Amino acid sequence: MIISEAFIPAVTSLGAVALALGVIIHYVSKKFHVEEDPTVMLVNEILPGVNCGACGYPSCGQFAEVLVETRDSSMSCPVGGSDLAAKLGKTLGITMAEPKPQIAVVLCQGNNDNARQTAEYLGIQDCWAATQAFAGPKHCRYSCLGLGSCIAFCDFDAMRLENGLIVIDKDLCTGCEACISACPTGVLVMQEKKAERYVIACNSHDKGGPTKKACDAGCIACQKCVKVCEDDAIVIDNFLAQIIQEKCTSCGKCIEVCPAKVNCIRLEHDLEEVKQKNAS
Amino acid sequence: MKTFKIGGIHPPERKLTESSAIEVMPVPAELVISMNQHLGKPAKPLVKMGEQVKKGQLIGEADGFISANVHASTSGKVKGVKPHPHPGGQYAMAVFITPDGKDEWAEGLDTEPADWRSFSQEEIIAKVKDAGIVGMGGAGFPTNVKLSPPPDKSIDTIILNGAECEPFLTADHRLMVESPAKVVAGLEIISSLFKGEAKAWIGIESNKQDAIDALKKHASPKGIEVVSLKTKYPQGAEKQLINAITGRTIGQGELPFDKGCLVQNIGTAVAVYEAVCLNRPLIERVVTVSGMEISSRKNVLARIGTSFKDIAGFCGDISEKTNQVICGGPMMGKALFTLDAPVVKTTSGLLFINNSAVEKSRERTCIRCGKCVDVCPQSLEPWLLANTAQLRKFDEILDLGLMNCTECGSCTFVCPSKRELVHWIKYAKVLVNNRQKRKSA
Amino acid sequence: MESVKLKVSYAPFVRSSDSIESVMYNVALALAPATVMSVYLFGMYALVLNVVAILSCIGFEWLMDKARKKPASCLDGSALVTGLLLALNVPANLPLWMIVVGSFIAIAATKHVFGGLGYNIFNPALVARVFLLISFPAAMTSWPVPAPFSLGLNVDMQTAASPLGILKTDGLEALGSFTLMDGFYGTMNGSLGETSAIALLAGAAWLLYKRYITLTIPLTLIGSVFLFTGIFFLIDPGTYASPLFHMVTGGLIIGAFFMATDMVTSPISMRGQLIFGLGCGLLTAIIRLWGGYPEGVSFAILIMNGFVPLLDRWDQNDQKAKYQKKSEKA
Repeated sequence: MIISEAFIPAVTSLGAVALALGVIIHYVSKKFHVEEDPTVMLVNEILPGVNCGACGYPSCGQFAEVLVETRDSSMSCPVGGSDLAAKLGKTLGITMAEPKPQIAVVLCQGNNDNARQTAEYLGIQDCWAATQAFAGPKHCRYSCLGLGSCIAFCDFDAMRLENGLIVIDKDLCTGCEACISACPTGVLVMQEKKAERYVIACNSHDKGGPTKKACDAGCIACQKCVKVCEDDAIVIDNFLAQIIQEKCTSCGKCIEVCPAKVNCIRLEHDLEEVKQKNAS
Repeated sequence: MKTFKIGGIHPPERKLTESSAIEVMPVPAELVISMNQHLGKPAKPLVKMGEQVKKGQLIGEADGFISANVHASTSGKVKGVKPHPHPGGQYAMAVFITPDGKDEWAEGLDTEPADWRSFSQEEIIAKVKDAGIVGMGGAGFPTNVKLSPPPDKSIDTIILNGAECEPFLTADHRLMVESPAKVVAGLEIISSLFKGEAKAWIGIESNKQDAIDALKKHASPKGIEVVSLKTKYPQGAEKQLINAITGRTIGQGELPFDKGCLVQNIGTAVAVYEAVCLNRPLIERVVTVSGMEISSRKNVLARIGTSFKDIAGFCGDISEKTNQVICGGPMMGKALFTLDAPVVKTTSGLLFINNSAVEKSRERTCIRCGKCVDVCPQSLEPWLLANTAQLRKFDEILDLGLMNCTECGSCTFVCPSKRELVHWIKYAKVLVNNRQKRKSA
Repeated sequence: MESVKLKVSYAPFVRSSDSIESVMYNVALALAPATVMSVYLFGMYALVLNVVAILSCIGFEWLMDKARKKPASCLDGSALVTGLLLALNVPANLPLWMIVVGSFIAIAATKHVFGGLGYNIFNPALVARVFLLISFPAAMTSWPVPAPFSLGLNVDMQTAASPLGILKTDGLEALGSFTLMDGFYGTMNGSLGETSAIALLAGAAWLLYKRYITLTIPLTLIGSVFLFTGIFFLIDPGTYASPLFHMVTGGLIIGAFFMATDMVTSPISMRGQLIFGLGCGLLTAIIRLWGGYPEGVSFAILIMNGFVPLLDRWDQNDQKAKYQKKSEKA
């Protein structure tokens, strides 16, 4: 008796509300139905969905739309790599071009041990803010300023500050290029991932003397690596050596002759297989 | 007493050098003449290592419309041309000169005083351009460009800026007291470019009574009005000075000539007089050396290119407590990271201070006291601009009047939470410009 | 000279001597006369209440900073002011544990859950007071009768209703011997610090002199209460108390000068402050004349606190309208 008194009005009233709302929702979903291309949806599901912009489109959704419409096999998602390209090709029935995975590289080894400081910086801890106050807390004006403006721009959590220098986590970096424009001194560049990649980790276009004064790991444009390279893969441009990655055969001769206190040529292993092999 | 209507602060004046006469500093053992002493493109160096130069010789040529000539400030040998720290905090190409001690003028310069009335308008502007004169108050806008406004703008008000509202600085003050005749002559030359139709004013803050008296004596017979202004910062800012004297308001995106006004600095007026009548290019300027941490405080007439280290040596000992050296005034100047930087045309002061605030400064949260809004002379909401900049909302920040900020620093001065309001605003300006550049590229 | 280590920061390099600490400690100093007055009127137990409230507020502030892993802010003075204001807003015989509960509500539940100093929407001391008032109505409305120079720790003082309470329950005639001068000096029943108008006004004068508060909010608040209650007094002097009575009783003075002017929870622009003060005044008068509670200042200020973001947004939209129009023209 009590149960029915309490329950019947509650159940009926709530039921009525639910019914009414259900009818409205059904009507609205029919009325405002948007036709979506199922292929676009399929492609969209394959894509990473982080909207990083590395492909040149503002979002994954737009990339998917354009890809489905044009079926352009040269379009690629740098984040997904070759696995994703294969999946995309399967879905669309075309052979996608093999993407060239890239990685962000810091052209500087001027951490707090190697680089000399000019003055202590006490303003807002941001690289762009610091450049408004002066050339930067490090003596070398081409260096990584070590305040980490780029970190906020990385969608993949692949950057961190270590001893006053940005370090990139190779496993996490997807090569989306978001950090490149976030750096006021331009020490970040993109390079193609390789099993063994030699980099001249310096960005200083100063002459030898000032560079040496500013940093232990600076390239003083001594030409030694240029002379020892048998593949003509190293050139000196405006007092800074650069390795042309296409020509480099990873012979490793240059790394032995570098006279800098801290070798300015670095050997990087980008691909995980290589890393694992070395570990075991 | 006249003053601008909106906002403003009154920081401690600390005009420690207001009664010390200008001292001429001897030519140092080395001069570093920066090619970037003005707004716009740096000058193109014209000399090479090993070349002999004469005093006043052109060593850097204006590169483009908004740029300015640079001259050797003594005779000697060029030791090199390379990048060097600039007092603005960055590096700039500079010509190093080892003086030969003769201090010889180049041919045709430093002539007998001529009457400026004998020159045509074009000749005067050409002389100003050749002499490399720029606004000596701080921005360094090329004066010849400022003196030739677009023909559709009619100038009816010319104001000479003797406000010198920054604490410590007394360079313009001493110039007004010691060479009032030159100041007035400079102003007359500038006025003559506008066919004498424009009314000329000299605005001076009331804490410089001796300068007001000295200028009144020389200016009043020539029909120039000397205005005593209530001491308030930032009275020396162009927009605020115009508002204080004429009551006109320069809005967003407008320049003074849109409202018929032209403002020139005291030092610039003297430079114009010397360039037109004496054929002397701009190779020296008055620098106030002050601050609590230097033993003798002076107003120094220094050659352009004298390094700050030499100036400090000329003025005495720096105490151990110095932790900041400021180029310019304490409100809008720059903290130097090295004393190797040289005097440039816009260097008005060199301050040796112990800024205890910078040591313990930690930005706290905004307590919404609203003081920044009260003091902002541009009626902005600095706390909101800073918050928006911190959140990187760069689309929204433009609508809040970001570009209207003149970076006078009043908001940061009053903030009880010690927030770096101006710095955040400047940060937003830089990133907004970057984005716009990237978009248009 | 070589030994000089240069430090680089951004302009300006001179700063005013104002800081959060100076603002807060000056507010605390301005509350000192009222605190001294409360000890004089209600005895040493009032001092104990004050000290416990301040210490517990500072303690909770320290705990919350620890819990939120923020730099310690417990000595910046804001917790001190909150504790002091809370103690001055309770009756002089409140059990100590209640004031500790109030401190917790003020610091933890009102201030730190929103992000700490600067982010709280509502005035912490007022939220705590209202929380206590609603949770412990008996303890919060049994006002001890002032007994000047009673130095003992006597909690069992004689209690009676406050003048506003008498007015609400028994009507105008029951007020009897109460004179305006009682309210002015503070010899009436009420919270610790709200009774003595002269002590509060002395503190407010100090804050005005130091320019930590402006007259906008207090004047509009008190003015609108005066006008509103004055109108009804003129209509029916037999039922409604005179506006001067409303001026000196209850928490109007402490509310207008110390609570409504709290920088964090009041609007920034002059226009916003005018509307804020006006709203506080009208709500106070409405609650006092017809509400269920005899006193309405706390409720009125808290309600208007809720409108502050809206009032600020109005200014921001004006600003946007101004610059958007300009940039379109350009």
